Amino acid sequence: MLTARRRVMAAAAAVVSTTLLLASCGDSDSGSSDGKTLKLWHYESPDSAMAVAWNAAIKEFEKTHPGVKVKFEEKGFEQIQKTAPMVLNSDDAPDLMEYNKGNATAGHLSQQGLLTDLSAEVTKHGWDKKLSAGVRTTSQYDAKGVMGSGKWFGIPNYAEYTMVFYNKDLFKKYGIAEPKTFTELTAAMDTFVDKGVTPLANAGAEYVAHQYLYQLALSKADRAWVDSYQLYKGKPDFHDAAWTYAAETFADWVKKGYISKKTTSAKAEDAGLSFMQGKSPILFSGSWWFGRFAAENKFDWGTFLWPDSNLTLGSGGNLWVVPKGAENKQLAYDFIDITMSKKIQNLLGNKGGVPVAADPAAITDPRSKGLIANFNTLSERDGLAFYPDWPAPGFYDVLVSETQKLITGSAKPDAYLDAVKAAYDKGVQAP
Amino acid sequence: MTFTVDERGGRRSAVVEARHHAKNARGDRPPRDSYALFLLPGALAFLVIVVVPFLMNTGVSFTEWQGVGSPKWTGLANYRELMDDAEFWASFRHSLFMVVAMAVVPTVLGLVLAAALFDFVGKHFGSRTAAVLRACFYLPQVLPIAVAGIVWSWILAPENGSLNELLKAVGLGSLQQDWLGDPDLALYSVMGVMVWVQLGFPLVIFMAGLQRVDPQLYEAAELDGAGWWRRFWHVTLPQIRPEIYVVLLWCTIAALKVFGAVYVLTKGGPGGATDVPSYFSFTTFFEKTQVGYGAAISTVLTVIVLLLAVVGLKLQTRAEDAEQGVVR
Repeated sequence: MLTARRRVMAAAAAVVSTTLLLASCGDSDSGSSDGKTLKLWHYESPDSAMAVAWNAAIKEFEKTHPGVKVKFEEKGFEQIQKTAPMVLNSDDAPDLMEYNKGNATAGHLSQQGLLTDLSAEVTKHGWDKKLSAGVRTTSQYDAKGVMGSGKWFGIPNYAEYTMVFYNKDLFKKYGIAEPKTFTELTAAMDTFVDKGVTPLANAGAEYVAHQYLYQLALSKADRAWVDSYQLYKGKPDFHDAAWTYAAETFADWVKKGYISKKTTSAKAEDAGLSFMQGKSPILFSGSWWFGRFAAENKFDWGTFLWPDSNLTLGSGGNLWVVPKGAENKQLAYDFIDITMSKKIQNLLGNKGGVPVAADPAAITDPRSKGLIANFNTLSERDGLAFYPDWPAPGFYDVLVSETQKLITGSAKPDAYLDAVKAAYDKGVQAP
Repeated sequence: MTFTVDERGGRRSAVVEARHHAKNARGDRPPRDSYALFLLPGALAFLVIVVVPFLMNTGVSFTEWQGVGSPKWTGLANYRELMDDAEFWASFRHSLFMVVAMAVVPTVLGLVLAAALFDFVGKHFGSRTAAVLRACFYLPQVLPIAVAGIVWSWILAPENGSLNELLKAVGLGSLQQDWLGDPDLALYSVMGVMVWVQLGFPLVIFMAGLQRVDPQLYEAAELDGAGWWRRFWHVTLPQIRPEIYVVLLWCTIAALKVFGAVYVLTKGGPGGATDVPSYFSFTTFFEKTQVGYGAAISTVLTVIVLLLAVVGLKLQTRAEDAEQGVVR
């Protein structure tokens, strides 16, 4: 009896496992390779300028491709960031995906052969002619996955850069004029501190804090310094004048009360809210806040580029990448081309994004005009210096953690730079 | 094998009773193979979901791998690196603090509270009141840790956080702190939250244990003039010792594996002050894409948890046997 039962179970197990095996070894072309479906993933929040533009692009695509359906899946940034290599290595890869740019992300995937080389399509559609040099840097990666040269693996449809957001009402209240120089900026912060107001919105637990520090370094740096740090063209010296000035000034700003120690565990959202609620008169951060501030700020506000600095943080936006295993590559290229069209680019610009190929005359919103004008100023002087966490995988966490120590005073600037150097050296060994 | 039963402890625990029964019943039970069939699905699932991934993880821990491409065999290099990794050891030190917060303190507090609810609240205010209070203590166990973590991060926020506001309101403004942002305080703050999260579990187990303690023991002790504390110490504690072992072991393992709370509350910060091995392994895997090294960390963690579980279970069995006079 038992033997018979066991035999039945063994037979059932064999059937199940064979089915599973066959399923796992199935033909990789069995997905949606029908030329009728474009599987697209992106992670822009629904009310952002980018999402508005991409949604319009999807509509346009469906209009110009009758019978083709866009299967859009909304993903989270973290979700794609953490699982992209595994997803792209499987049969579940989409045809087109938004992905983070930089050596540790898109560069890493391209190096592993998970992304399609778009070089031929770039020339065919003339996308390269629409992108400025600074924006283009993050699209091309060499065989080692280092950005700036080599094949095209992604197309950005927008750009981003950091700026000083300031609360005009609070500046007016304390009789402070818009700072034009770095000295005026620090004088303004002194005035706020004297009045019991902490001037800078900050977030120690996320990118905001180390971006202040990197900006301070950039104000004493040049393109060769950036190339050395970001593109490994030379060996960066973490105790040089720029880094030392940045770490010491940042620590000094905490001491002076420009930055509150209580922001050590604050998230970027907290910093943004602090500015939006009128608690902090100044926030130095990226253009990704712009649309939200325009929609939600209850006070008069303005922006200016970090004074007395040729360089600032910024780059092309996230990339559209086509996974190597994508089923409908031609549809993906067609979609990218639509996002590069004047119509979609102008829409992006008017919704508070920084378009890369818009018609300047078509941007009607005055604040958006200012945003784009500042970007053009930066582009003209080759001022985009990327982000400090890009050079090595996991470097973001190191910068957050070490900058937190600088805020709490548990590490001195020298020790901070030693720790950052050690993590950098370890991290860049891989590429 | 021989065993004698010492009845001085009154009624024996259900666990020991069941085992005793099982041993005596050995001769009457159906053939072993019929049980094996029932175990098969579970065993297969365990094999596929736990054993195989663990073996694969162990295999990966001997390589240098970025998660895609070909892994490079490096032998014990990851483990050697681990031995000298100050961050890894710091994360383990923090784990010991979490054991205090998630196992030791909830067990002690849970015991006292369970006895108080059972003995005092139950008797004076009715078992329904005791059950409601028990449910209240258990609530954090039901809440998703992400939700609890976000709410606690609001409570502990330095600016406008409820705790600091409360301190200010009652005239203790000088005690306001940056609970999660001060490296000297953050670990203790996370520990506090974990005590809150964990307390309900031992409480419920202990209250269930107390249900089966013979009331005559308490009556006898009371007649002999024993106060609440003496009854707790000499009757309650010895009677629910098996539950205490289970709770301590379970909670210690949970403490060593803790991840969600650290991820939501501090992300290991400030400056690594609250990093724990599971979070350290996670960042090594996914942020630094050092999959081989991350696998080595999780392998070490798994081995430690397994060892602890085996040693804990052995100790528990030995203690129970000693209590019952069983000689093996």
